[in-house]
Amino acid sequence: MTTTAGAGILVRFMLRQERRGLPWWLIGSGLLVGYQSVGSQDLYGTPEALAKLRATMTGNAALLAMSGPERLLDTIGGEVVFEIFGFLAILVGLMNMFLVGRHTRTDEETGRGELIRSTRTGRHAPLVAALCVAGIADLAVAIVVFGAAAGTGLPVAGSVLLGAAAAGAGIAFAAMTAVAVQVFENPRSVYGAVGIAIGTAFVLRAAGDIGNPVWSWLSPIGWGQRTFPYAGDRWWPLVLPLAAGAVLVRVALILLDRRDFGDGLLPYRPGRATASWALRSPIGLGWRLQRGSIIGWTAGLLVLGIAYGSFADSVEEYVADNPEIAQYLPGGAAEVVNSYLALVILISALLAGASAVAGAMRARHEETSGRAEPVLATRVSRRAWLGGHVTVTLAGSAVAVAAAGLGHGLAYGIAISDPAQALRLAGVALVQLPAVWLLVAVAVLAIGWLPRAAASVAWTFVGYCAVVAMFADSFNLPDWSRQASPFVHLPQAPLDTVTAPPLLIMSALAAAVLTAGFAGLARRDFGY
Amino acid sequence: MTSAISLTGLVKTFGTTRALDELDLDVRTGEVHGFLGPNGSGKTTTIRVLLGLLRADAGTVRLLGGDPWADGVALRARLAYVPGDVTLWPAITGGEVIDLMARLRGGLDRRRRDDLLERFDLDPRKKASTYSKGNRQKVGLIAALTSDAELLLLDEPTSGLDPLMEAEFQRCIEEVKAEGRTVLLSSHILAEVEALCDRVSIIRLGRIVESGTLTELRHLTRTSISVETFRPLDGITGLTGIHDLTVDGRHAVFDVDTAHLDEAVRHLSGLGVRSLTSTPPTLEELFLRHYDGADKS
Repeated sequence: MTTTAGAGILVRFMLRQERRGLPWWLIGSGLLVGYQSVGSQDLYGTPEALAKLRATMTGNAALLAMSGPERLLDTIGGEVVFEIFGFLAILVGLMNMFLVGRHTRTDEETGRGELIRSTRTGRHAPLVAALCVAGIADLAVAIVVFGAAAGTGLPVAGSVLLGAAAAGAGIAFAAMTAVAVQVFENPRSVYGAVGIAIGTAFVLRAAGDIGNPVWSWLSPIGWGQRTFPYAGDRWWPLVLPLAAGAVLVRVALILLDRRDFGDGLLPYRPGRATASWALRSPIGLGWRLQRGSIIGWTAGLLVLGIAYGSFADSVEEYVADNPEIAQYLPGGAAEVVNSYLALVILISALLAGASAVAGAMRARHEETSGRAEPVLATRVSRRAWLGGHVTVTLAGSAVAVAAAGLGHGLAYGIAISDPAQALRLAGVALVQLPAVWLLVAVAVLAIGWLPRAAASVAWTFVGYCAVVAMFADSFNLPDWSRQASPFVHLPQAPLDTVTAPPLLIMSALAAAVLTAGFAGLARRDFGY
Repeated sequence: MTSAISLTGLVKTFGTTRALDELDLDVRTGEVHGFLGPNGSGKTTTIRVLLGLLRADAGTVRLLGGDPWADGVALRARLAYVPGDVTLWPAITGGEVIDLMARLRGGLDRRRRDDLLERFDLDPRKKASTYSKGNRQKVGLIAALTSDAELLLLDEPTSGLDPLMEAEFQRCIEEVKAEGRTVLLSSHILAEVEALCDRVSIIRLGRIVESGTLTELRHLTRTSISVETFRPLDGITGLTGIHDLTVDGRHAVFDVDTAHLDEAVRHLSGLGVRSLTSTPPTLEELFLRHYDGADKS
């Protein structure tokens, strides 16, 4: 066992490093389950409501692809699993991916791993310790999920199974990451490969739920769903992630024995020796730094839009079957399709806004990490430096919002055989753009005047807007408390008629706030 | 002679810490000026004020005839800077960073760039996250040396370089000096400063405590003497300016304040000198003398 010497100490050390981050993943998992459980029991609490829902869902491929196998709809608990298990598994999978990747490949790359391995620790110790930490985190997920489900009134046995199924998916993805960190030298490639694996697992289970169930059995997410918690409580599929995990960890250890410290089976590819023509200005640098996330978010929002849009055509029938839903739609039952589209486009715009705020906050990260300093030691002014970043962020958010609208329009247009919907809904989504820009402007204002608190200020504002947009009606928040959200003051297209003044006023306000933020940056000490 | 950098009474505080405490610094055009001090003494803060990143709380700042806070962009077009710890964008290669910095400064001299890449033996195709500390430092140095800026601000530029690269760096600075350009070299590698610098300023707790040419500074310090005389070493303890004396028969080893050197040598020659070695003070001793006191106070 000398190859794992020191693993126990490393486990405690890693848990200590994770003590701030890990609770958020657990809280997220608990909230996801608890919120869905309360909501579903509220909407479909009676057998009749559940039967109507079953009738709507049966054969609706788009909805099944986003959710789970129809059999889960037999009980209300199963309905909860149907709606959220896929997303819960993605969340837990990402948590495991980062836990394992951070303490193995990233440590090797930064040299921290070298420090650890120079002590009396075995070759396998960091990987084994990271997997133990992932296992502990998965156990915690199981307990939290069980608590959230049983605590909101779902049957105890099914809740235990649901928690175990979520943890099982986590274990499978942790073991996959263990292999990926042996293969790729670049931590980004590790996360990319495991991210693709998680996405593939989701797509495979979607294929299994719509068509041949065999596909689901190739997916760790499918294994979890097919334990059918609350709808038959099938325990044996829990063996599958454990068996797969054991095999993958064995493979990882074999690969680990065959490679040198710091190396991977696939080394870094050499990059460009000279800069491309585009990398010559603050905007060029801003694009280079943000292009990955802008392209990723644009693609993600396009896909989300297609998913939302594909349901738009059947929403009328769905609301007729489930009249309670109408209270969550801004326009009520009268204009079901338009109010549905207005709501989901708003959600997409909020997501685009969050990605744009993350892009703007990158400038602050550049400042504190010291990378901005050499740039500002050239003839680039602070205004030009921040302007480069923010211009890319603003333009990127416009593209992402338009892509979300385009996605809605493409799917809806195909459903109702009206290709013009694609451009129409892209335009409709862009109505929300001034509010997205205001979110960016507030982040820039905070960077200019409250640099140390900038991240908290910017994200609190995003969170506030999300709460107002999604929960203000269900929680009956008073009218005045919603007024600070820019989205409230824009027309809810396509439900409302769009007029120019609110858009122009909001854009002018965003411009003014941006200007104030730039002025703040110009007058303060830089780098602190 | 004009000054490339002139700081008088410069004060910069962070909260309750007084990072720069009425600092005066004068760097003449065309000289290589050593800026010595240990970590935390205020070297980097001074350079950040010169770059216009920090605003001075009090005092006057003149850089290339202008105020770096007010006319920063115009002044920075004429300088190049190397930070002590070059941090780079993980996914961008060293070659790309060098090109970007040159373009942001106003133009890229590709022949010079390729020449420097070869001299510093740097692979420009590697992503920055795979560079070692020394290689990141090379990226920063090449990016600065590619330019023909009239002033180079170098903040501990050679940290992490191996001796071969250190020698290459010294050759590059000699060339810069021969072209009549000005260099402010912050460092705590004293051999580097002794080899390169015309004048030196020593900073301690945010103040300049010594400034001058190496010859001038040496006058303020002690010379080590090892001597053997024909006659017994009488009266040597009574001399002024003698330190750390050890006498072994007719052989003595001691340090003498350079100001009292003449007096001591006269006395010794009166005793008949059989052999004498005198070691001039090194910058290191000079430096340690200022900082030994600092630790005790």
